[in-house]
Amino acid sequence: MTATANGATIGSNVQLRAVTKAFGAVEVLKNIDLEVEDGEVVVLIGASGSGKSTLLRIMSGLETADSGQVFVGGIPMHEPKRAPEIRGHVGMVFQQFNLFPHLNAMGNVTLALRKVLKMSTNEAEAVALKALTRVGMQDRCENYPSQLSGGQQQRVAIARALAVNPRIMFFDEATSALDPELVGEVTSVMRSLATEGMTMVVVTHEMGFAQRTADRVVFMDDGVIAEQGTPEQVLQNPQHPRTQQFLARVFEA
Amino acid sequence: MNWQLIWISLPQLLRAFLLTLELAVVSIIGCTVIGLLVGGLRTVRLRIVAGLARAYVEVFRGSPLPITLLFVYFGAALYLGYSSNVFAAAAVGLSVYHGAYVAEIFRSGIQAVPSAQREAAQTLGLSAMQTFRFVVLPQTRRIVFPPLIGQFISLIKDTSIAFVIGLVELMKAGQAIVDRTAEPIPIYLTIAALYFVICYPLSLWVRRNERKIVPA
Amino acid sequence: MSYQWRTVFEYLPEFLDAMGLTLWITLQAFLLALVCGLVAALARNSRWVMFRLLAGAYVEVIRNTPVLLQIFVVFFALPSVGVRLDAVTAGVVAIGVNVGAYLCEVFRAGISSVARGQGEAAQVLGLSPRQTFASVIAPQALRNVYPATVNNLIQVLLGTSLLTAIAVPELTGVATVINARTLLFVQVFALTLLLYLILSNALSFAAGLLGRVMFKPALDQARPGLWPLRRTRPSAIPVEVSS
Ligand SMILES: Nc1ncnc2c1ncn2[C@@H]1O[C@H](COP(=O)(O)OP(=O)(O)O)[C@@H](O)[C@H]1O
Ligand SMILES: [Mg+2]
Repeated sequence: MTATANGATIGSNVQLRAVTKAFGAVEVLKNIDLEVEDGEVVVLIGASGSGKSTLLRIMSGLETADSGQVFVGGIPMHEPKRAPEIRGHVGMVFQQFNLFPHLNAMGNVTLALRKVLKMSTNEAEAVALKALTRVGMQDRCENYPSQLSGGQQQRVAIARALAVNPRIMFFDEATSALDPELVGEVTSVMRSLATEGMTMVVVTHEMGFAQRTADRVVFMDDGVIAEQGTPEQVLQNPQHPRTQQFLARVFEA
Repeated sequence: MNWQLIWISLPQLLRAFLLTLELAVVSIIGCTVIGLLVGGLRTVRLRIVAGLARAYVEVFRGSPLPITLLFVYFGAALYLGYSSNVFAAAAVGLSVYHGAYVAEIFRSGIQAVPSAQREAAQTLGLSAMQTFRFVVLPQTRRIVFPPLIGQFISLIKDTSIAFVIGLVELMKAGQAIVDRTAEPIPIYLTIAALYFVICYPLSLWVRRNERKIVPA
Repeated sequence: MSYQWRTVFEYLPEFLDAMGLTLWITLQAFLLALVCGLVAALARNSRWVMFRLLAGAYVEVIRNTPVLLQIFVVFFALPSVGVRLDAVTAGVVAIGVNVGAYLCEVFRAGISSVARGQGEAAQVLGLSPRQTFASVIAPQALRNVYPATVNNLIQVLLGTSLLTAIAVPELTGVATVINARTLLFVQVFALTLLLYLILSNALSFAAGLLGRVMFKPALDQARPGLWPLRRTRPSAIPVEVSS
């Protein structure tokens, strides 16, 4: 448990109750209930546009739900006053990496350590080096994002998120923008995080990762959770016709 | 302040404004022709030709318009006598000067079409001419028009600089009234309104149609 | 050297003095333009409608009327409302305010061209909005606007030549005087042209060097060539944002 500025403690679990979200007239999330336990790895799958990113963005505080309750690490994210408390306590890894192009790998990782956690430069660099070592990027500290491959950039992005010691990590299609031969280096970092007990919510199209790493697979369809269960249940014996359709299409490719 | 003056001097100002517009139209045609020519020459394989075209662009984009206008004006005066046409000198100067900018617009417009488009067309069996005519040019048109109109707006405003060679266009006509009446504010407001009425709609069009940009 | 050229070169000290004044006016006006552009850009993104409207009006009026008119307004019209400026100051003010309107749009586009994901990444990391702007958005916006800003510096330089119309003894003004005295227009204006080319190329060369020191990783600049201007000048066609 880590303490927030006002003394509250932040856990590593997520509870969503009857969450809805619409963009204009489009209902993107319809009455979502979801629990993620401490140390659990939940993989979200579903067709493009089914609302996976929106769900992650609500949990990480980038969007607010229209109604329902969202507790992340115990913080009520549906209360606008309290939602900002989550910042810096969850990590988010984006499809497009979103590394800061004007900072080198070290600069990317140390920024929040220096500005948010107010560490000295030396302290921050020591912590950052540990995080970069964890993702195997300790030799590329001086490199700018434009000098790194996609897989390397994404590993730096993971290190950047890890360095602030988050309670939960969210991954939004972290490997979708990568060339196929670079996917492995990122998923193996993610898998080792899972083994170390990190609570993770992962949106991915890598069924191999879901199969081997997920504690639970959640299938989203058109803004609702259509089916969830262990990887065996959902991926091998899907019950819902939409899940069957989706998986048939994914495995066909 | 004598606001009456606006109505009194309006006919005179409008007549001068007409000359401004004539000058703008003639120069817009002139600079487009020059720009197409020079922009085209810059892509020619003969290095001397391409180099000369580039030097042309660099010289005019790195020096101010009054120098060009004075050059043309005094040159015409020397070789054609002082009765030579100030309007023609202004038109030539504006065309030559803005032609350099227009050439750059055409050149970068052609370059902005990805080379993959050209390659795709050629693998389909289109000749180089056909590729340019049917694939590159249509795409260039969409890209080139907004900055081109933007350049024309600059040119319209720059007609006022013909002031320095004594052409009695809107600016000079207005200044003559100001000198006579010592009432600058009503006159300048009228002049500003006349330029604005022409330039603002064009600016709006440019803004609506320009590419969403990083200001490279 | 022909007799004509020798005659004109006798005026070289005058030319160089005028060149110095041109450069001095350019730098002052550019500084003013930076301030005007920045203030207007902030005002245009302000929460208050009044600020947005005022800044919008400033940008549109300035950009859709001739700069020569603006120079005349400052020099001839402001005295009738009690603001009396000498010719050089009037020129600095008019050109600075003019180019500021263009820079305003450059700065706005520079900020909005920073990818949205950048702000989101910073937010999740726990940076406050202020920290996000200072450490993530502004440095990237600065990189984005640098070439266009240098381009506007050159526009300031070229714009100063209009100050001949209010009898400022800058390069163009002095050239017309010497031309009237010698009647050697080819030599006089060729030399003037050359001096302007030296100024504009020197300015953009210096800006290019500064850019190389300021930005890491290096800005995308074309390879150094005979014409330094080409290096920092933005393409006539804006580059599309990769989102
Ligand atoms: N900011 C937004 N504004 C409007 N519509 C949005 C926005 N974000 C997402 N949407 C819409 O919400 C739906 C779900 O999007 P998203 O959560 O990104 O789905 P997924 O990640 O599963 O592909 C899509 O139809 C998308 O177009
Ligand atoms: Mg998505």
